Amino acid sequence: MEKNIFRRLYPTTKLMMTFTLIMSAFVIPGYIYSYLIFLICGIIVYFCGKLKEYTKQVFKSLILLFIIIFIIQGILISKGEIWFKLGFISVYKEGIMKGVNLTSKITAFVSAFTMFFQITPIRDFVISLEKAGMNSKAAYVVLLTLQIIPEMMKRTNVIMDSQKARGVETESNIFVRAKAFIPIFFPLILSSIENTEERAITLEARGFSSGVKKTRLYDIEKVSYDLLFRILLVVFIVLCIIWRKLWNI
Amino acid sequence: MKSIKEDFSLMSILLIPVAVAINMAGFGLVKLLNLPIFLDTVGTVFISFLAGPWIGAIAAILTSVVSGIFDPVYLAYIPTSVGLALTAGFLTRFKFGNNIIKIAISSLVLTIIAVVISAPITVIVFGGVTGNMTSSITALFLASGQQIWSAVISSSIITEFADKLVTVIICILILGSMSSRYLIKFKYGEKYINKSKN
Repeated sequence: MEKNIFRRLYPTTKLMMTFTLIMSAFVIPGYIYSYLIFLICGIIVYFCGKLKEYTKQVFKSLILLFIIIFIIQGILISKGEIWFKLGFISVYKEGIMKGVNLTSKITAFVSAFTMFFQITPIRDFVISLEKAGMNSKAAYVVLLTLQIIPEMMKRTNVIMDSQKARGVETESNIFVRAKAFIPIFFPLILSSIENTEERAITLEARGFSSGVKKTRLYDIEKVSYDLLFRILLVVFIVLCIIWRKLWNI
Repeated sequence: MKSIKEDFSLMSILLIPVAVAINMAGFGLVKLLNLPIFLDTVGTVFISFLAGPWIGAIAAILTSVVSGIFDPVYLAYIPTSVGLALTAGFLTRFKFGNNIIKIAISSLVLTIIAVVISAPITVIVFGGVTGNMTSSITALFLASGQQIWSAVISSSIITEFADKLVTVIICILILGSMSSRYLIKFKYGEKYINKSKN
């Protein structure tokens, strides 16, 4: 059994934690707290032992975006006072402040969601949704999607290699590469569409549409402190709102 | 309401994961081959053409959520892909075939929908950029003295139209090469059956 307290939480509690963090980032004014969410999520992920993947993913999705946001907001949109000049480039203070505000909120959103997906196995999440009343067909579709995507990526590489062996160029100028797209993409799609028919027959043979309550081999359960954790989260977000209303910032 | 429920047949439901995978594979393949378009909605448009708008919308939402696992930035664009799926589904009511004018019109309509829904998201949520190829064109327009709204809208019209045109053509080609035995199992399948082939 897993010892870690965060990991053992029920998936919907983790989802609630994610949304509470995001909401608090929008309720609490200023950008410092929103950037701090990155650290808060980092600490939680650290206890689950996934810190490396988390940091890598957050940086991968944000770094290019932030560079471009600051360039566009600070340099290309010219309004307000000039903060300082770098050679012939003038940097605008208002634009930089707007960039900071934007990026802080995006950081909060992205790190909270990355944390959620790092500490929650998708299979557990889907099971918890199904227990909360989600249609079992819908739950199956989500699980199947997650299974099919890696399979499809593998098949892309196989088809690409076999078409290369038949003489299709994949590394040259743009027209040659565009021409290579069709002999790779079409076999991939047509073969995967054909598979759905077989899958439908297989599922029907196992009584997929029978509408009877299903039994489960793999199951998850709530832990004792789940309820406590949820109450704490609600109290936290209410406190944030009260704090903002009282000080009226 | 009843007709919506009828859309969700087992075959259509099982096509949803395939459509999501096609979206991901198209996007990945384009990146692999370094082509200047996205092709991240081929699956969505394809399934909307074949199985109707509601199935398409589910596939669109699922695609955004799954790509959100790797990069949560995509979660902001759920409305765009849902809008595209619904539009493509409703476009199907006018028979496509291999008519070039109809392909051009439908990709134009899809472009307009994509730009109208995604431009406000890009400007309000991300301040005008999302870190892909469109951003460099946006930056070019901004540097030439345009306002942020017109820069975002005009740059996304250029890239989206090329993208949607290729997407629609690919979808029509795929539908044309599927067997009629298979096509007939879907809601709008019979519209694509090539009668001269049999």
